[in-house]
Amino acid sequence: MVESGRGNLLEIRDLSLTLGGNRILSDVNIDVKPGHIHALIGPNGAGKTTLIRSIMGGMPHKGTIRFFFGDNGRIGYVPQLLEFDHSVPITVFDFLYLMLRKFPLFLGRRKPMREQILKILSVTECEHLIDRGVGYLSGGEFRRVLLAQALVPKPELLLLDEPASNVDEVGARHFEKMLVQLKQDHGHSILLVSHDMQTILRIADRVTAINRTVTYDGPPENLSLSDMMTNVSSS
Amino acid sequence: MEYIYDIIRGWATAGYLPSIFEHTFMVRGLLAAIIIGPLLGAMGTVVVTKKLSFFTQTIGNAAMSGVAIGLLFGEPIEGTYAGLYGFCLIVALLMTFVKNRSRLSNDTIIGVVLAQVLGVGIILMIVVTSQFNVHQVEGILFGSLITLNDMDLITLSIASLVVGIIFAFNFNKVMLGGFNPILAKARGLSPVFLEYVFVCLMTIIVVASLKLIGALLVLVLVVVPAAGAQNIVSNLRQFVWVSVLFSTISTTFGLLLSGFLPIPSGAVIVLVSSVLFYGSLLLKPLFSKGGLSQGEV
Repeated sequence: MVESGRGNLLEIRDLSLTLGGNRILSDVNIDVKPGHIHALIGPNGAGKTTLIRSIMGGMPHKGTIRFFFGDNGRIGYVPQLLEFDHSVPITVFDFLYLMLRKFPLFLGRRKPMREQILKILSVTECEHLIDRGVGYLSGGEFRRVLLAQALVPKPELLLLDEPASNVDEVGARHFEKMLVQLKQDHGHSILLVSHDMQTILRIADRVTAINRTVTYDGPPENLSLSDMMTNVSSS
Repeated sequence: MEYIYDIIRGWATAGYLPSIFEHTFMVRGLLAAIIIGPLLGAMGTVVVTKKLSFFTQTIGNAAMSGVAIGLLFGEPIEGTYAGLYGFCLIVALLMTFVKNRSRLSNDTIIGVVLAQVLGVGIILMIVVTSQFNVHQVEGILFGSLITLNDMDLITLSIASLVVGIIFAFNFNKVMLGGFNPILAKARGLSPVFLEYVFVCLMTIIVVASLKLIGALLVLVLVVVPAAGAQNIVSNLRQFVWVSVLFSTISTTFGLLLSGFLPIPSGAVIVLVSSVLFYGSLLLKPLFSKGGLSQGEV
């Protein structure tokens, strides 16, 4: 059901979360607007990844998380770190096929699917990686593949958990450019967890700083130096 | 069944197959090998990816208790199906439940259960039969073609067909869940539910193949063909098909060889499987040129 959300795409109200007796998040309130790049910042252990997992529906919590898009709307997710066995012979093609098709990979025809996957990879400029083993990708290459998979089918909201971690400076800038393109050219709404203050100041429309609860919520240019220092010093 | 046996026995009489296949028990063994080999090979790829090798071994070990429990409830010694499938499924589900509900690592949970189920099985067996019958124990541990009957073959065929279809049409989801549960969850899948489904399928097939391969050796046939395939393949599709090929060669050629040698079929199947594994390891440099592109990392 599409509900009126006062122009919000995502509304988090009074969210609290306790794990093993420890209060991880307390009274978190966040509004994410459509077509925005909304950055989530905070020191290590502030509860950013827990908040992202709660949005994904994977954590029991108090309070409400409401999405204002249709039943068929989905969230595209790019995780922070993807742990997997590098010896498993999975290529980028296989990786995307497993996610996009129900018909068993070992019985399916490769050719028609290959063209579809090349098209998907071209959005993040990584179609040349299609036959590369996933375990042999660099951090930046893998981030681009993960971003490509998150865009299909088109999500209502893109959740990116520290997309620039383990990526070199050039790769991070390239990724940043891609996010701006996704917002401007394709109208994507992005909720981005990041420690990279320079990137946030350049591309974010709104910033929420959390340290177990919201410590700042507003435009990036109004962020206090102490908020920035807290975030940068612990990254 | 007799009609199929007659055809294969006829081939042996005509000289197309070794004369040992004039015996019905060898024909049953060959049919079981042809049915179970490809399925174990295909499922082995997920076992290797999800690191469930010793989980499979634990299920094999639990079979001893399963047989004893079946006998305790009055099932005949040649077909303790309810005891076997029931107990092994309970052990499999319990291990998966504990793994998902506790902070213990998978290998710690398996380490706790692995030897326990075998020990308890031997004790139960002695209690039930009032004696230690080494041949019964040997049959379960190493496989026993002589005791493979028509009912076993029918059970194995039905189990393989059902498990094969469910496995094939859930392969993408199970493999994605095994590769990375977080991404699977982001795609709306339930990796925990998929794990329960897979361990049930795996348990059914492991139990169905016990008389052919044996509880102690079944692990090898689940893991070694997939591990051998991993040495020489460059993508997931090849991984499945090469593993299926290795596993099928292992079961069928192993059984053919066991017809000539006074050794349990399971041991010869393991031997053939090991030869294929080390062969693929030696050939690895040849395949790596066209294998997974390593590119610039």
